[in-house]
Amino acid sequence: MYRYAKLRNRVTRTFGMGADEVAADPFIADLVAALSPDRVKSDGAHRALLSHDASVFDGGNSGPVVFPETTAEVAAVMAAAQTHGRNVVPRGAGTGLAGGAIPLGVPVVVAVTKMDEIHEIDTDNGIAWVGPGVVNLDLTKRLGPLGYHFAPDPSSQQVCTIGGNVANNSGGPHCLAYGVTNAHILAMEVVLPSGEVVMLGGLDAEPAGYDLRGAFVGSEGTLGITTKIAVRITKNRPEVRTLLLSFDSVTDAANTVSGVIAAGIVPAAMEVMDQRITVAVENYVNAGYPRDAAAVLLAEVDGLAAGVDLDAERIAEIGRENGATNVKLAGSDEERALLWKGRKTAFGAIAQLAPDYYLHDTVVPRSKLAEVLQQTYDIAERHDLVIMNVFHAGDGNLHPLILFDARDEGVLERVHAAGAEIITASLDAGGVLSGEHGIGVEKQKFMDRMFSSDDLDHQNRLRQAFDPGCRTNPGKVIPTGHSCADIQSLRSIPKEVWA
Amino acid sequence: MTAAATALATDDPVLLAFAEEVGSEGPVAVAGGRTRWATGGTLTEGTRLIAAPTGIVEHLPDEMTVTVRAGTSVAELHAALAAAGQRTALPDRGGTIGGALAVGENDLRALGRERVRTALLQVRYVSAEGRIVASGGPTVKNVSGFDLPRLMVGSLGTLGVLAEVILRTNPIPPVSRWLAAEGAHPRDVLEATLAPSAVLTDGTTVWVELEGHAADVDAEVARLGTVGSFAEVDGMPDLPVHRWSLTPAEVLALHEGGSPHDTGAFVGAAGLGLVWGSTPQPARPLDPTVAMLSERLKQNFDPTGRLNPGRMPGGA
Amino acid sequence: MDLKLGADELNTCVQCGLCLPHCPTYRVTGDETMSPRGRIKLMREVQLEDAPVTDEVIDAFATCVQCRGCEPACPSGVPYGHLMEQTRETLADAGQMTPVWLRAAMKPLSQPKLLAAGTAALGVAKKVGLVPDRLGLGAADIPLRQEPLPTTGTDVYLFTGCVMDTMQRDVHRAGLDVLTAAGFGVTPTGAEAPCCGALQAHAGLTDETRGLAEKMMRSLEPERPIIVDSAGCGAAMKEYGHLLGTEEARVFSGRVFDIQEFLADHVDKLPTVEPLDLRVAVQDPCHLRHVQRVHEATRVVLRPFVRELVELDDDGLCCGAGGAYSILQPELAGQIRERKLGSIDRATPDVVASANPGCSLHLGAAGVDTIHPMELVAKAIRT
Repeated sequence: MYRYAKLRNRVTRTFGMGADEVAADPFIADLVAALSPDRVKSDGAHRALLSHDASVFDGGNSGPVVFPETTAEVAAVMAAAQTHGRNVVPRGAGTGLAGGAIPLGVPVVVAVTKMDEIHEIDTDNGIAWVGPGVVNLDLTKRLGPLGYHFAPDPSSQQVCTIGGNVANNSGGPHCLAYGVTNAHILAMEVVLPSGEVVMLGGLDAEPAGYDLRGAFVGSEGTLGITTKIAVRITKNRPEVRTLLLSFDSVTDAANTVSGVIAAGIVPAAMEVMDQRITVAVENYVNAGYPRDAAAVLLAEVDGLAAGVDLDAERIAEIGRENGATNVKLAGSDEERALLWKGRKTAFGAIAQLAPDYYLHDTVVPRSKLAEVLQQTYDIAERHDLVIMNVFHAGDGNLHPLILFDARDEGVLERVHAAGAEIITASLDAGGVLSGEHGIGVEKQKFMDRMFSSDDLDHQNRLRQAFDPGCRTNPGKVIPTGHSCADIQSLRSIPKEVWA
Repeated sequence: MTAAATALATDDPVLLAFAEEVGSEGPVAVAGGRTRWATGGTLTEGTRLIAAPTGIVEHLPDEMTVTVRAGTSVAELHAALAAAGQRTALPDRGGTIGGALAVGENDLRALGRERVRTALLQVRYVSAEGRIVASGGPTVKNVSGFDLPRLMVGSLGTLGVLAEVILRTNPIPPVSRWLAAEGAHPRDVLEATLAPSAVLTDGTTVWVELEGHAADVDAEVARLGTVGSFAEVDGMPDLPVHRWSLTPAEVLALHEGGSPHDTGAFVGAAGLGLVWGSTPQPARPLDPTVAMLSERLKQNFDPTGRLNPGRMPGGA
Repeated sequence: MDLKLGADELNTCVQCGLCLPHCPTYRVTGDETMSPRGRIKLMREVQLEDAPVTDEVIDAFATCVQCRGCEPACPSGVPYGHLMEQTRETLADAGQMTPVWLRAAMKPLSQPKLLAAGTAALGVAKKVGLVPDRLGLGAADIPLRQEPLPTTGTDVYLFTGCVMDTMQRDVHRAGLDVLTAAGFGVTPTGAEAPCCGALQAHAGLTDETRGLAEKMMRSLEPERPIIVDSAGCGAAMKEYGHLLGTEEARVFSGRVFDIQEFLADHVDKLPTVEPLDLRVAVQDPCHLRHVQRVHEATRVVLRPFVRELVELDDDGLCCGAGGAYSILQPELAGQIRERKLGSIDRATPDVVASANPGCSLHLGAAGVDTIHPMELVAKAIRT
């Protein structure tokens, strides 16, 4: 990206420590003692890379990077950070789009990627115990021969870690029927900011006490670090039907989605793509999408043979009632896989069209989908930007995608202004700030549009029960002006970067 | 409330009046249906008892949500939802919405109805300071900020007093059938069927609830025939009086007669872990670190200890 | 410093991270400096921000296997292979990468007699236990003598290369037999076109590579299809167009076919025979799957000739051989191979079919029974 060179606030220039300072830093010495020298990295290359995630946000400021392999090592890192009053930021695969893993306050970055063991698959309890670094899709692949899968399937599932899924309460196309990550986590071993190790939740039906497990999921790495996770495993459905419906307007597609839910059908997934993105996808993968439709709806039902046929027929009917110009049932697994490939590589197709894109994530009530979609087009037009929409329609989860070229003078200001208006439009329609990307640093400044000062204060009370010192993933989620929002121990050591 | 109209702000006079009633001083507790009055300990004497506001505010079948005030009875809510072909995960055991959420017990048929803790989308509660606090959101999918709704489920109103909630609703399946067989093994039943709503065992008989399209249920019934001689029954068996929380594997062990748990006569939900036994479950003491976190939470949310005093989740 | 990377190519990456799981070194280290996203970022740091080329930066570039597994996974179409080759070339020219001894080691590859002598010496040395284990050649069968390959016609060339010709002439013989059975007259290229330049390209020795490419183009008759049974060589020869940037080179690259790719279009011409009673796992060489992207052809050609084909569950992740990689980065290569072995174990095959000599050697050194797909087909046809 051009923004890389021109727009970035050159963080790597300000965070580095000189070689002497590294050697003399007692914190790093403690980290090395807790792990091993080869798993504590304080060189400029590591710190430059881990100052970023997959978001467009700059300002990351990584301290040393550690690669623990055991719970005890994570605990030792946390304890050392506590002793030295340093911040800690956990990190999985760094695929977040809201900047949740961007290190602020020169923290030690704890990369859990080496904790990638699937410890146990326990079908009697319907769970698997996994390390936080296990890749989402790897678990599903391992479960396949046993007839199970891990239900949350974010678009980044081939790379994102389950520890990251827990931190972000990740969703995905199929959480319409199966629920988001929170519904699939039964228990977690967690290292608290104090270095204490604790088991939250349990495999029993109703673990005693507050649902600390539930409060931890989706806390964006601010409450501690998961080191072992019991995830629910879901039986594979024997029958799947995938429908592709074409429409003359996005409104017709959105109305069909509402109609399906109103008819008492909860499909496994309902995804809508507008014409611009459909054409881009079709050019990219030749999945068989119509280029002339204003919108397409990809609907999938799964379960037993008779029911999925009934539901598929009913969805087709509702589609036609709402003006579907064409309804196609995927005739084979290959055809079905190709349709999904088209949907899942939508962002890839976009990347071929413009050098930069900004992917938004808000949720609106299903009944407001058509209205808010139209607003996104209007907003883009006002700001002279190109916008496309591909989204989890069944959940009302919009993903407006703004295309731009960062080399254009002043374009970023327009992109951000349009984004703010989209968020406002979603909230005005009775929606929420984020459906699956989280708040991170991206939407902090919008939090007080949704929540009152009292609301935010109570979120902070939860946070401080786990992390009284506000040292774990500081500066995230809660907007500035609230406690825990401002970074406590900002150590900037502006010396040689590339020690 | 703050003056700024944040998206989750409310000007509902009923809620504002309830916040006034909760106030900011003196011990206070909500009495709902009193069906689980002993849960979590004994209410401190002299605590002011109040009732939560009632009424179904808005049911949106297309959104699969319902906004309901905490004092409404589960029975009333479910009757209203059923008229529109929907239901929720909350168990109907004679109490209120607020009570069901505050206690957090699951329906024995939670395999088919989901857990209570996932049903709560948005919460408005009155804080210990007498302020209305909102968390979560009106949409089924939402990761905006910390997940206080999860924390509220099962918290016995010790962190805030539930005033109004938005619950996820689900369509009622076209067909629901109970079958039972002696001598079947619940593990075999779980393997043979795709998605039973309940698989219950008392060690001898296995009861299964199957729901869905009629043809699908027929197919599931046919598969059940491969693991036992199942016959149609009216519903689930009568339950013993003491509730146990075990793991799904422990229910299988109970069924096989090899469990160390002395439940006495029991009915257990396989795949879930809930058990009703004729003897009470021994106390499940909290891990010391969990207890420490819980105390800190209580301290942060209710510094003076005025909300439902004498009770704590996981307490006696 | 200026790595001489094209601004557009460097700017294509949006840092989404979808490449990470497809990178063998990231998979075994969990370390983003050893990932495509990380390496591209370091290229930017060095070229655009003038960050110093520290040991860690060199290490990040040197540990890349150049399997290019990241390329098909990349939604933005980042030409990672080109970026890495250019980076290595610039750093090699600046004397910051690729030690002198490695450059010297590359020499014999383009000089068949030298290589034959060296290989024979290696075979002898191995027999008497002189080859260190770190070379990863433990179980490989290094031949001491070789029979020459016959010419059966002039329809197609069969490229015999350097390492491949010396070490695995049986593979060429099998390929020649199968092509002949499909009705094609075959001319082995032999000493006329000794080296494709793939290993030199990997090491950043681009001038040498260009020289070898030009030599090859001069020495082969025009228009005749050039069939290659080594995935790495085929990939390199298909890139001459990009390497030399001439129309002539592009036309030449268009004549290059992987042998499975070529036969997949003529599979109906092969005789119908009793399939071999084997459960065969297909291990796709990276240069077949990620670079040439013709790995499906292997299945098309093999399927009629074996009882059962089984896929590995690692999405074609590299085995760690990577040309000279297993010698230059023995520790990482070993870790990467461990991952592959786990995947092979789960597939429970009788034999692993791999269409690249480097992969076969590397996996064979760990005790895996490997065979070239052409040898399986040839065996089925012969019996």
